[in-house]
Amino acid sequence: MRLACLIFERFRAKLVNGAFPYQYEALSLHDFSGFLDIQMLDAFSRAVVTADSKGAPIGSAELASLRKYVADANIRIDATLAITQNVSCIAADAVSGMVCENTGLTQPGGHCYPTRRMAACLRDGEIILRYVSYALLAGDPSVLDDRCINGLKETYLALGVPLANAIRAIEIMKIATVAIMTETNTGRKMFEGINSGSGADCKDIASEAASYFDRVITALS
Amino acid sequence: MKSAVTTVISSADASGRFPTLSDIESVKGSFDRAASRLEAAEKLAIHIDRFTSESLDYVYGTQSYDQANKDKCARDINHYLRLINYCLVTGGTGPLDEWGIAGMREVIRAHQLPTAAYIEALTFIRDKVNIPGDMGQQAATEFKGLLDYLINALA
Repeated sequence: MRLACLIFERFRAKLVNGAFPYQYEALSLHDFSGFLDIQMLDAFSRAVVTADSKGAPIGSAELASLRKYVADANIRIDATLAITQNVSCIAADAVSGMVCENTGLTQPGGHCYPTRRMAACLRDGEIILRYVSYALLAGDPSVLDDRCINGLKETYLALGVPLANAIRAIEIMKIATVAIMTETNTGRKMFEGINSGSGADCKDIASEAASYFDRVITALS
Repeated sequence: MKSAVTTVISSADASGRFPTLSDIESVKGSFDRAASRLEAAEKLAIHIDRFTSESLDYVYGTQSYDQANKDKCARDINHYLRLINYCLVTGGTGPLDEWGIAGMREVIRAHQLPTAAYIEALTFIRDKVNIPGDMGQQAATEFKGLLDYLINALA
């Protein structure tokens, strides 16, 4: 897990330096084949790529769903804020949940022992949340697929991270995120949207967010 | 594919941060302007064949010409208009840049294409957009902006 984070950090350093992300590690560590073909899309550019493969302009039929995306933009923004305002809470809850269910993890010899490995675990949780928030804002999972999921399982396997535990932590993050977004969590409302919309409005978008977590889970399974 | 939203996400990802309020404001801004550009895209998709044929008739005039030549020119103008339709949808110049303008100079030089004819046709389309017959004022502004962008790239 620690190494996984190290790799993420190196990816990030490359990004900051303007180099193409992951390229070197992709070649040396894993089979990232096809990586270069994936590009980051949002709901709009997804429609464009689809239309281009048919060589046709985008007409009324396709525009209807894009208009819905625009009309729901405020809800989408609130849902994204529900994640970004509760990142450390969601990640910390998920990791402690995972550890509570498997107390051996924090014992000597466990995968979350010592604390620096636990810290790596928390940080990976935040990284996954970050890419889910990007996907949610874009309305398309390509950024999550491209920059987070691609090669994640191979990395974890190579580093000996127990996949079952990672999956459990992601499941808990999914449940927590949906609860905060739809305001079905126990206790206070946990996010301030810019539209003061109610959590009930976020129901559809919360299932979209859940599908992005499921994507990560499927990739690790 | 560059668009308003992916540009914001790319820069957030580059510094490893979650979308901030200012990121979200800028995404929201692009949504607020989306209605007029989506209208422009829709109307352009409806009128694309007419725009193409009218502009070609104007460029080729009534003198004798090679029909095959005119058909090829029509195909290219149609292609450029389709890319503009995509740009209107994404809210950025990504599709034109990546699929239309990248490598264009090399192609034009290699095949000795008459860019003046393309420019004339595109300028004709830009000047003859009927408001509000073809599309609304705001939509036409979005459409014309992209036509100008392409004309500048061809020039």
